[in-house]
Amino acid sequence: MGVGGYLRRMMLARETGIFLALLLMCFVLSLTTDAFLTSQNLLNVGRQVSLLGIMAVGMTFVLISGEVDLSVGSTYALSGLTTGMLIVEQWALVPAITGGLAVGLAIGLVNGVLSTYGRIPSLIATLGMLSVVRGLALVITDGQPVTVNERQGALEGVLARFEFIGQGYLFGTIPMQLVFFIVVALIAWLVLSNTNFGFRIFAVGGNAKAARVSGMPVNAVKICAFIVMGLLAALAGILSMAFLPSGQAGRTGLGLELDVIAATIVGGASLSGGEGTILGTIFGVLIIGVLRNGLVLLGISPFFQELMIGLVIIVAVAIDKWTAGRRAR
Amino acid sequence: MARSETVVAFKNITKRFPGVLALDDVSLSFRSGALNAVIGENGAGKSTLMNILAGDLHPDAGEILLDGQPVSIPSPHASQRLGIKVVYQELSLCPNLSVAENVMLDRLAAQSVFSPIRRRTVRAAAREQLERLGVAGLDPDATVVNLSVAQKQLVEIARAISQEARILVLDEPNSALSKNETDKLFEIIAQLKRDGVTIVYVSHHLEEVIDIADTISVMRDGRHIETVDNDGSVTPAHLIASMVGKTVEIATKRAAPLLTDAPVALDVKDLSAEPALNGVSFNVRAGEIVGVAGLPDSGKDELPAAIFGLMPRMGTVTLQGRPLTPQSTSAAIKGGMALVPADRRGVGALLSMSVQDNIVAASLDRVSWLGILNRRRMRTVGDSYVKRLDARIAHLKQKIRTLSGGNQQKIIIARGLATTPGLLVLHEPTRGIDVGAKAEIYGILAKLAADGVGILLVSSEMPELIGQCSRVLVLHQGKLRAELSGDHIDEETILSHAMGQDVTRPTPLGHERATAEAAG
Repeated sequence: MGVGGYLRRMMLARETGIFLALLLMCFVLSLTTDAFLTSQNLLNVGRQVSLLGIMAVGMTFVLISGEVDLSVGSTYALSGLTTGMLIVEQWALVPAITGGLAVGLAIGLVNGVLSTYGRIPSLIATLGMLSVVRGLALVITDGQPVTVNERQGALEGVLARFEFIGQGYLFGTIPMQLVFFIVVALIAWLVLSNTNFGFRIFAVGGNAKAARVSGMPVNAVKICAFIVMGLLAALAGILSMAFLPSGQAGRTGLGLELDVIAATIVGGASLSGGEGTILGTIFGVLIIGVLRNGLVLLGISPFFQELMIGLVIIVAVAIDKWTAGRRAR
Repeated sequence: MARSETVVAFKNITKRFPGVLALDDVSLSFRSGALNAVIGENGAGKSTLMNILAGDLHPDAGEILLDGQPVSIPSPHASQRLGIKVVYQELSLCPNLSVAENVMLDRLAAQSVFSPIRRRTVRAAAREQLERLGVAGLDPDATVVNLSVAQKQLVEIARAISQEARILVLDEPNSALSKNETDKLFEIIAQLKRDGVTIVYVSHHLEEVIDIADTISVMRDGRHIETVDNDGSVTPAHLIASMVGKTVEIATKRAAPLLTDAPVALDVKDLSAEPALNGVSFNVRAGEIVGVAGLPDSGKDELPAAIFGLMPRMGTVTLQGRPLTPQSTSAAIKGGMALVPADRRGVGALLSMSVQDNIVAASLDRVSWLGILNRRRMRTVGDSYVKRLDARIAHLKQKIRTLSGGNQQKIIIARGLATTPGLLVLHEPTRGIDVGAKAEIYGILAKLAADGVGILLVSSEMPELIGQCSRVLVLHQGKLRAELSGDHIDEETILSHAMGQDVTRPTPLGHERATAEAAG
């Protein structure tokens, strides 16, 4: 393949179109506002999109495997609240975080088992779990907000380190949340493109029957994808709890699943499975983040933000579908 | 038969598909108020002819006469307006609607969208049709999805006659029916005949056809061979000879010696998979190509899935001396079996993935270390099989969906071979593949066999079975009917066994068994 061929393939690659759109947005914003193209603002955008990004990475696994997870907003809430409550109960940092992650893992496992062995379509199974998990969060907190501070009983040393995770800066400049996002995305990229597990997720989501003929444990692969999602939703929830540092079962992460799925879809993952990349998902997350940031900088009403984001999702997927035929060749 | 006037006549009908002459100057007529059977092998042109009558296909040349008048049938709708109704093997009912609604479906569909549907009227009208068929026992309110296949078939027939069909075409109507249900169907057919309905009955069950048909038309290779009056003198042997033809081009036979002392690669004992397979036993030796023949409802199409672990099964499957866990494809692959499925695009290929990914998909352990893929090894393995099978691809990263059918099939075979199997199971491996690629695939199989791989070739294509296999197993109604080898592998013998007919020549089944057991 010559240079022209490479160029052509790059132009047709999934990520290129969305990357160009992102670039265009950044270009316009840097011309129309003074504040956009500053390291301060860009790092700010990075921090704002990090939690969404961590969850979108998990959603990429689930979508590629041919399933969907609607319960992530609730998982985010319950895991964060769990860790918060454990710290208030004077647990040490690592066990408290492990507790929150274990909640996410368990929810992922249940989602996976219901959607495979339980033969309930994941759209329905995880819709049910969205309510179940939200309900659990309400029950264990009795609907009361959970705030992590010394007055509530958190140990001083634990609290300081917990807050650093959510609010701190690496080398004094890079927000910790962004560091987590970058690390998660990097690992996810390596797993998806360079391991048996990643290969199997693509195979199972692309054609489950053919994957089975190739000897792959289809159900186990899908369950693992749900577990990855559950763990990452939990991580994001814990980071959010550490950032604020408070949460409320009735409000935290409400409706978040739609943002997560939107970012992943804008990034090129297919709802019918078998397609998606971490790079695309990162671009998808950034588009939504930059759009929100830009609209704020331009002083546009927050009501308009929702409208614009909705349009971006529709336009992005439409362009993707229309160019799909050309890419296939 | 009092009346014998012709109701439908095909005159010099020719229909060509890309690369195939499906109908070659067919002239054939059906008698009014009679049961006209049409028989022939797979690909003889029966279905194409019926599709033309149904308005689904249009002939390239020739004309159709209805009551002596030339008619054109541009669409299924036009066909129905002419009083023709075709009931296909794959039923076209709405499973979520009631029996009554399905029976009256075409009339309901003809109504304006806003006109109210009176359930009571619909139910009464449907009940009338069902009573006419003598199946008043079928609850008009039952939802179709809950019915048995036979009941669905009755609903489909009731739906056909509710449109005052004068000509009812039944395409392989009883392939899913039990004996009782079939008898019931025949009663209904007799009733319809008394009402003056002309029946066209496409089938491969020779005895039934001889039992019930008034005329029998035989087709072969897109041509109408003969139409005989079923006056009691017609024999199955005559029909088979007519279906096979005297001038069959003798497929080149592989000079494959019978291997009676090679190690057994696959040993199957009492394999059952309800309802398709019922106590099938056979073996495949290393280096052998063993064919499996049978009609569509013989169970041959379920055999690969059952032994490979894609469906529940009873009985034992022993692979290279080790018994295989049922219902586990990974156990089958680890045990040394590879499957090339019949549905290449639906079950075979990982369509959204590259050629290279497709080749290594079943042997990831071979190209990875501690779960981490080694890209270079993937490329080397992919490359070596592409070369070995001479697959024509642009590059390894090419999506498999962009390849031709023959090259896709080579890649799927490559995926099987990459697991270094002792037994390769191929299910209709050359379906929809052009002649050149077919020959190449046969070449690959012969080479594999020479290298000591046991091959089980499940196929509907006679030349393939005759040309490639050293033994051919013939299944009939879920049971092993015959095991042929050497000179006994010919089209007529295979077809006779597949249709459950006795063959005058002694079959080598007993002999074959004895030697196999002595050696094993």
